[in-house]
Amino acid sequence: MTNLVAIFLGMALINNFILVRFLGLCPFFGVSKKTNSAVSMGVAVTLVMTISSLATWLIRHYILIPYDAEYMDIVIYILVIATLVQIVELFIKKTNLELYNAFGIYLPLITTNCAVLGITLINATQGYSLSGSIVAALGGGVGFTLVLLMMSGIREKLELADTPKSMKGLPIAFITAMLLSLAFIGFGGMI
Amino acid sequence: MKDKSGFKKAWPIILLTIVVVISVSGLRYIDSITRSKIEAQQEQKIESMLSGMFPKMTQYDYDAEDDIYTIKTDGKKIGYAFIATGQGYGGDIDILVGLEDETTIKSISIISQKETPGLGTRITESPFIDNFNGLKINDAQLSRDDGKVDAITGSTISSRAVVDAVRTTALEKVKLLNSQKEGS
Amino acid sequence: MDRSKKESTMARFKKEFTKGLIISNPVFVLVLGLCPTLAVSTSIDNALGMTLAVLIVLLGSNIIISAIGRFVPNITRIPIFIVIIATLVTVVNLLFHANLPDTYESLGIFLPLVVVNCIILGRAEAFASKNSVVYSIADALGITVGFMLALLMLSFIRQVLGTGSLTAFGIHCFTLPVLGEHPISIFILPAGAFLVIGLLMALFKRTGVIKND
Repeated sequence: MTNLVAIFLGMALINNFILVRFLGLCPFFGVSKKTNSAVSMGVAVTLVMTISSLATWLIRHYILIPYDAEYMDIVIYILVIATLVQIVELFIKKTNLELYNAFGIYLPLITTNCAVLGITLINATQGYSLSGSIVAALGGGVGFTLVLLMMSGIREKLELADTPKSMKGLPIAFITAMLLSLAFIGFGGMI
Repeated sequence: MKDKSGFKKAWPIILLTIVVVISVSGLRYIDSITRSKIEAQQEQKIESMLSGMFPKMTQYDYDAEDDIYTIKTDGKKIGYAFIATGQGYGGDIDILVGLEDETTIKSISIISQKETPGLGTRITESPFIDNFNGLKINDAQLSRDDGKVDAITGSTISSRAVVDAVRTTALEKVKLLNSQKEGS
Repeated sequence: MDRSKKESTMARFKKEFTKGLIISNPVFVLVLGLCPTLAVSTSIDNALGMTLAVLIVLLGSNIIISAIGRFVPNITRIPIFIVIIATLVTVVNLLFHANLPDTYESLGIFLPLVVVNCIILGRAEAFASKNSVVYSIADALGITVGFMLALLMLSFIRQVLGTGSLTAFGIHCFTLPVLGEHPISIFILPAGAFLVIGLLMALFKRTGVIKND
């Protein structure tokens, strides 16, 4: 149990996906202009990460390892993720149109989000158990959403601030990310 | 006409199947030619590390069950070695640990790590690594935790990961060695 | 007739190649593939290793996709592209593991993550699937060189300021006088990557090397 808590905190805060591991930066800078879309994106990514972790763990331990085909992992994982994203998108579209309008549009973008393939590869290299993998995915997703949300809040305010012309847009967003990243180093002493 | 539209519908699936089949067979081939090389490389890496650690080594036995290397000179045991894995800042740290006997560490070396370059990576370098030469297993703790290993400034997590992995794994392996002796 | 056509092919080849360097530099202008750019720019060695991986995969995928792009129906386009790219990445992964074990170790999961590097799928979609093999090669080479320039700039600054010295391919190049003793470690930390790319991008905007949005 303490192990799972450590995995969760490690993934969410200490080795934060965006600020420390540099995973999922494209949506980070693309979507983090508005708080609403940031939350939707974060939830969508967390959902896909968790389901993918479950699916790839089962495939890895019941198909790839028994048949000695671990070298195929990248191809299999990316196909699984692409398929899952499609299924989740269809499912949400059919069951809850409101939810679909809120974050369904972000789902297709997630296939090529490195956070999702990243978590499946991290689970494999760290040798996490099934529960460990799922907790790691949840932790990673929560950390991702948290930082996305913080960043969007700051950027909404930054729009009104008097930034130098050449720093407007992405450059100042990078500098903000640097300050957040520095702050997150402090979590290193937690465990 | 009907056939044609049927083919048109099936074409995407056929094409995808062809692409996947080509991909799988291609990867099988590449895997078959690289696999032995990758394995040989890892073995060689460990052997050269072992002989760096025990310069007098002439041969070594590997016990796959306990995961312990027994180092020998002309058939005489001169020490043991094993791999310990610690949870560092950036991921797993693999450490090769050499034991002089059941209570004393001979030396350690870092096989692989993903720590922050310039900070955590200093666990692979001399002042930190030298802490372990001839150290009693029970003293393998950071000085702030009443041990005899000085942590690297600014890299306490990496330092502690190494120290803890070395101590706990060493204690485990010593237990295994002792039970082996009793058994034989 | 034939000759002028040949010349124009050469001119177009050159154009497709050079556009990747600055005008549509993948990192600073298109802002694609940020994750590997920031993550592996801690040393020159890592930067060059990543460039090599991207070169092989991008060249391969651009060639294959420009050759077969016409026969691929729209609904399976993305899955087929992804399978092709993932296969190439696995090949590179295995070859690096067998032949460049140190680079393989230090690139870590960012080597397999080349699969989802937006640069590669982006070029397949935006360029290779619509253009001939020759121009797709030019495009791949140009984009890779542009990527390399950006990575080298970032990793040079980060390695020199963050460690106080420069070592590439195991050869020690120089150690800075004061920084060698007291390196500015923030540059080597993740935060440093954000700082350097932010400042470089602002600098390029200020000097007009890249246009404002």
